[in-house]
Amino acid sequence: MAAANEMITADAIEATEFMDLSRKYRVTGVPKTIVNETIEIMGGLPEKTFVRAVLDLPEDVTEDVTGSGTLT
Amino acid sequence: MGLLSPQDEATLKNHLSVITLPVQLVLFTQAFGGSESGDVAKQILNEIASLNDKITVVEKSFVLDTEDKAKYKVDKAPAIVILSDGIDTRMRMYGAPTGYEFVGLVEAIIVAGTGKIELDPETMKWIQAVDKPTHIQVFSTPT
Repeated sequence: MAAANEMITADAIEATEFMDLSRKYRVTGVPKTIVNETIEIMGGLPEKTFVRAVLDLPEDVTEDVTGSGTLT
Repeated sequence: MGLLSPQDEATLKNHLSVITLPVQLVLFTQAFGGSESGDVAKQILNEIASLNDKITVVEKSFVLDTEDKAKYKVDKAPAIVILSDGIDTRMRMYGAPTGYEFVGLVEAIIVAGTGKIELDPETMKWIQAVDKPTHIQVFSTPT
């Protein structure tokens, strides 16, 4: 995502090496994703579901059975 | 002795053969007061770089190279900043890239080295529409 848009930065953090950060974000399981200090996403998700959660897209983003979606 | 087995090296070399652009892996470590993982990260990066001549490792001091630290907005070490032909991809890895993080590192290198992002076209549309600063932090563990 970061490589696709210069507004986005992406950090992969080894949780056990940075315990202070892990405590700050209450990382009790991995993977755990934090977006702009406000959105928390637990676990691994399919691509579209994950991106939608990261970008906080509204629920009315639709997908068809082939996996291609449209913003409505 | 290397961290990668000869078989792993052969597999990885094959994966990395798609790279056409120079990739710089800028590694920030802390010589004093830092964790041993900085040395592990350095060894891993050097082993990867030895498999493809388009990949280079640039070492920086987390303490002394303050200008670079600020430029890449690195606030902890060890840190790996991934550049594609000198351009910041905005992808960072913090900690030694072992286990799952290793897979993520290789994928990031391939994105940087090919300029190709393997995402669904519709997902890409959503991502490219982002117009405000978005900072994503993904926590993982080696196993």
